Amino acid sequence: MNSTKTGLDSRIIQQLPLATAFVDSNFILVDASETWYSLYDIPSEKAEVGIFSFFEGHEKCSSELLKEYLIGNDIRTIHHGKKSRENVIWFESTFAPWLDQNQNIKGTIVQTIDITTNLTRDYELERVQDLLNATAEVAKIGSWEYDLITEKLSWCATTKKIHQVPVNYEPSVSEAIEFYKQGYSRNKISMLFHNLMNEGGSFNERLQIITKNGEERWVAAGGKAITKAGKIIKIFGTFQDVNEQMLAEKRTKESERLLTTLIDNLPINVFIKDKDSRKILVNKAECEYLGKDASELIGKTDFDLYDQKVAQLSRDEDLEVMKTMNPMLGQETLNVRKDGSITHFLTSKIPLLDLDGRAYGLIGMSMDISALKQKEEQLRNLINVTAIQNKKLINFAHIVSHNLRSHSANFSMLLDFLSKENDELEKTRIMKMLSSASNNLMDTLENLNEVVEINTNVNLDKRKMNLNEGIERVQQNLSAFLQKNRAEIINTTPKAFTVLSVPAYLESIILNLITNAVKYHRPGESPKIVISAQKENDYNVLSVSDNGLGIDLSRYGDKIFGMYKTFHKNKDARGLGLYIIKNQIEAMDGRITVESEVQKGSTFKVYFSDKAQ
Amino acid sequence: MTKLNSIYIIDDDPITIFGIQKMLKGVVECDEIKTFENGKVALDHLTEETKKNIEPPEVIFLDINMPIMDGWEFLEGLMQLNLKEKIIINVVTSSIDPSDYEKWNTFRINCLHYLNFKNKPIFRIDAADLKRINLAS
Repeated sequence: MNSTKTGLDSRIIQQLPLATAFVDSNFILVDASETWYSLYDIPSEKAEVGIFSFFEGHEKCSSELLKEYLIGNDIRTIHHGKKSRENVIWFESTFAPWLDQNQNIKGTIVQTIDITTNLTRDYELERVQDLLNATAEVAKIGSWEYDLITEKLSWCATTKKIHQVPVNYEPSVSEAIEFYKQGYSRNKISMLFHNLMNEGGSFNERLQIITKNGEERWVAAGGKAITKAGKIIKIFGTFQDVNEQMLAEKRTKESERLLTTLIDNLPINVFIKDKDSRKILVNKAECEYLGKDASELIGKTDFDLYDQKVAQLSRDEDLEVMKTMNPMLGQETLNVRKDGSITHFLTSKIPLLDLDGRAYGLIGMSMDISALKQKEEQLRNLINVTAIQNKKLINFAHIVSHNLRSHSANFSMLLDFLSKENDELEKTRIMKMLSSASNNLMDTLENLNEVVEINTNVNLDKRKMNLNEGIERVQQNLSAFLQKNRAEIINTTPKAFTVLSVPAYLESIILNLITNAVKYHRPGESPKIVISAQKENDYNVLSVSDNGLGIDLSRYGDKIFGMYKTFHKNKDARGLGLYIIKNQIEAMDGRITVESEVQKGSTFKVYFSDKAQ
Repeated sequence: MTKLNSIYIIDDDPITIFGIQKMLKGVVECDEIKTFENGKVALDHLTEETKKNIEPPEVIFLDINMPIMDGWEFLEGLMQLNLKEKIIINVVTSSIDPSDYEKWNTFRINCLHYLNFKNKPIFRIDAADLKRINLAS
């Protein structure tokens, strides 16, 4: 290569600090600096070499493009890259026409610099910018800036989009503030902005704006004062659309409140328990039932609240429900609180499953059915009472018809006699019989009336009666009868023993028991009657034992207190007396029992209830 | 006029006893009409008589509802005496309870004696109440 021919000082060229190459119009490299060869990593050769060989394998610069650039008569720049082992090296090559003294184009001067580092930095910046934009776009976070010196407010694109204003819209501070909803939001933002300008600091507030299109939206507005040399010069802020979140939050809160209101005001006890049967939620009804605040109940188990036995039962139910994951529905349960009070519940327990389908607790619901149970019990009692009454009524009706019938039969018979009788003496006799029959009928009716009265008298005047005095009074009244039958009475009743009874009933009871004992004595044996009294639970018990005929209870057990036989003139017939006193005793909430052995004797026991009605 | 040796009237109601006695007067000739106020007194008497080999009554008028021992118990006691003689027993009652009639029927079938059922009021005593009429003859 001849320097004179080219007009170049090859020595100087070689020392050029920038990679520079001189290319002739035939695209042959005429000369180049040392840095050129090292940049392109190709050793310098004295032989003529084409410029294209340096760009071989470079991206973004085809031979066509290079040619175009090389023959151009202005300065052009291209970026091109070459892949090395790990990364891409980027170059910037500038092509300039190579002129001789006469301004004729001799070729092209090419200078290349390595711009990899710069380009990477540019690229990184661009990437960050893109990311920021994308983030702003996705998160709907915009920004704004207020310059206190120029008094200029600027909004970013996202902020504008949130306000639904065109991209070229330029807001003033007062316009910006007027976007906020009148009232709380607008007042608040004015105050915050004002404070920030005067005192600095920052804020972040959720407020409502009315967009340009008139939509009401929730936004999160943030601001921060930027100070320079102790002076506030700028305010930088963020602006985010949080409408969806706010509405979602509001909806969540509303449904939460709905649920809480519902659970709290359900008239049944609701509770949620964890795996260990500790309560983690209780409603108002449950709190009221246990007489404790919710805070006192959370974390407690049934063992803390109920009777041990009941708690164990409940725990077993809980485990069963959580193990089998089958709900327990509408089970009648009995709860006994620590103070011993009993409540009947209709309880359901439903397992709570986590996302993997494992039970981690249960929801329980209990309805208090104590009142219902009580009603049921009352009803059952009422049915029992009714059944007994009904039985009594049938018995009574039967006796009434039977006895009245026997009297009427007598009347019929005697009247028939009378109508056929001619003998005056006999007529008088029949008349006497008729009047006797009439008296019997009256007696019968009186006795029936007495029974009816016992059963219909609801306001019994029960009084505390000394039993001993009662027995003595009856003994006195019967003295002639007792003497005639040579009856012996042994009374071991304690002197101060009292019973609660209607006075007239007490005498009737004692009288009937004593006369029966005497009347049904064993022939040839003088009657011996033992009267005693003792307390048994809620009853004061009077016992009357005799050594008389006795009763075959296996045969007559059910009949003995029934209206056995007749109201005929002998009022002292056993059936009636026992029937009447049984009615009297039962009317006073007591009962009468009998033990007997044929040919040995009988013992009647009268249980006087100790409770006033 | 039927002739009989012995008649028992077992009833706790004196008016009925009076009535039966009066009605018997016109239809029967009997030296011994005995009255008892309940089943037990009658059964005791009959037992004693049997022991003494005295013949039982030919006819009995028996009330059902009586204290101490009622008509049914008397019939049971009577059956246990295993008498050779057959007695005409007129069950006389004011009861219109069907169960009493059924009971009577059971006794009628199981008892060797002749049982009649008579509802009060009774106005007359028929020959059939006093004598077994042999229909075959």
